[in-house]
Amino acid sequence: MEILSALIVLTLIKATPIIYAALGGVISERSGVINIGLEGMMAAGAFTAAIVSYATNAPLLGVLAGIVAGGLAGLVLAIAATRFKVDQIVAGTGINLICAGGAAYGLVLVFNQPGASKQVNALGPNYWVLVVLAFALAIALQWLLSRTPWGLRVRACGENPRSVAAAGLDPLALRTFAVTLSGALAGLGGAFLSIGELNLYSDGMTAGRGFIALAAVIFGRWNPLGATAASVVFGLFEALQYVLQGKISWLPADAMQALPYIAALIALAGVTGRVRAPASDGVPY
Amino acid sequence: MSVLHRFGGIVAVLLVIVLMSLAMVVAGTSPIDGFSALLTGALGGSNQLGETLVATTALLFPALGICLAFRAGLFNIGAEGQLIVGALLAGAAGAQMHVAAPLAIAIMLLLGAIGGGVWGGIAGWMKARFNANEIISTLMLNFVAASVALTLVSGPLRGPLATGAETAWLPPQYWLPTLIPHTRLSAALVLALAIAAVLTWVFRATVFGYELNAAGEAPEAAKRNGINIARLTWLSLTLSGAIAGLGGASIVTGELHRFNTQLSPGYGFTAIAVALVGDLQPLWICVAAFGFGILESGGLAMQASAQVPKDAIHLIEGLIILVLAARRYVATRIEKGQAA
Repeated sequence: MEILSALIVLTLIKATPIIYAALGGVISERSGVINIGLEGMMAAGAFTAAIVSYATNAPLLGVLAGIVAGGLAGLVLAIAATRFKVDQIVAGTGINLICAGGAAYGLVLVFNQPGASKQVNALGPNYWVLVVLAFALAIALQWLLSRTPWGLRVRACGENPRSVAAAGLDPLALRTFAVTLSGALAGLGGAFLSIGELNLYSDGMTAGRGFIALAAVIFGRWNPLGATAASVVFGLFEALQYVLQGKISWLPADAMQALPYIAALIALAGVTGRVRAPASDGVPY
Repeated sequence: MSVLHRFGGIVAVLLVIVLMSLAMVVAGTSPIDGFSALLTGALGGSNQLGETLVATTALLFPALGICLAFRAGLFNIGAEGQLIVGALLAGAAGAQMHVAAPLAIAIMLLLGAIGGGVWGGIAGWMKARFNANEIISTLMLNFVAASVALTLVSGPLRGPLATGAETAWLPPQYWLPTLIPHTRLSAALVLALAIAAVLTWVFRATVFGYELNAAGEAPEAAKRNGINIARLTWLSLTLSGAIAGLGGASIVTGELHRFNTQLSPGYGFTAIAVALVGDLQPLWICVAAFGFGILESGGLAMQASAQVPKDAIHLIEGLIILVLAARRYVATRIEKGQAA
């Protein structure tokens, strides 16, 4: 019983950052922009949250700064994808490198040490607020996308942006807002990693979660609730490696680290033919 | 063709210089000191030049592999994992084998290509069979590769005298010959340049190259004209991985002489920038790889003397990618403005 409750708690904690990033992925792709930069936006959020918490000793300010940093990175992708019609995949890859490299550089500038920040004030036991918020946001986003005029417009942008323009709205503005929001959500997920779950930023701490979130978006069929459920599954596999450590003698701990990634691979292959991306996903307007 | 369009590469180089100067000023050193440290560190002697060419070689293999996949419209960001698997197979075999030296080197290189090819091929098969997004799958496979490699060299493949997670050393006769005496530069550079030449020929003069370009630029039209997209997908990701894996094997037999989990400081990711800066043209990619090789090896020297962290280079790589990607649009706008 004890193991089970530990597993559930750990699953929720591990799922939370993926949920935020996956919600960001859903909203971006529903508006027609593939956000390969989620990973970098998470890193930007995680790094900025740690820095601001270190400077102000107020973790809450750190979380807010993480959201802003992710949002700014999202805005860069948005502008590249809308105004400059840059290939979205290429731009997202660029953003991933910029954020990871910028954080590595920032660590040396601020803390005068490479690799990881000093320990900073973290949310501590209050982290559960962000766990609950993740699920609340998933429900809110599901409602916003499916039941409000704004949601209809965003979805229309992802399916057929010309029809949005024909209705007198600006698809580029809608996409810009959606992708910025997407970055802000990923930034919040990153902030949870650095000062919710832990109390520092270290290089590479996002560990592919931005891409796992993209797999969750597909597995969840581009729906906020579906993507959240998929994130919980991936969170479970991440939690399993900690709970099972030392319990399965033939499977070394190093090998178990691969579990969440293998789960994401199987999920990607398993949804063949049963899902359909938004028609204009990834197509510049 | 506008000026910007034609000289995008030069614009990117100028941008790099400006950005790096800025980074140096922020870190509190004068750009002149920083750049002289960088250039002396990268080109200041045969030793330095050797190290720069070692980095060039290590970047060139994965960049050429990435180029092949990109040509087919497939975004392979898993070159890092493909390189690791290739290096792991080569290192494991090299440490156990007892055959004549030239044969051993050939077997190691072949195993490297097979390992990387299988790793890329998994993503290719998943894409062809299940339409699984290759961007996500190749990246996930990077983490799986790292985990497999760490597990194996911490356990069964660990060298008896190893201090870290690494295999036993290769006997000296299994090492690739060096090109410049007293440096670590091996014949792997020649192999990489040969592959660049072959790829240029494949893209320009073969049916496969034509099909690759067709599938990359107009997949619908390619399909209607009878090109087997599924076959092309797994084949190009397999070949792409094989070239990256060959690069991994060449690091093992040419440079480190053993497999080590720290073998690549992210060559597979920097190679994405190399391939894009080289405009997906194999010969330009060779030039781009040399440029990034200077950054890699000179960056270490710069880090030591000018306090600019080497990781800052990723920041610059990302900015170059964004600017290069946007230049096409800016160039078209300028042309339109001139016409009007």
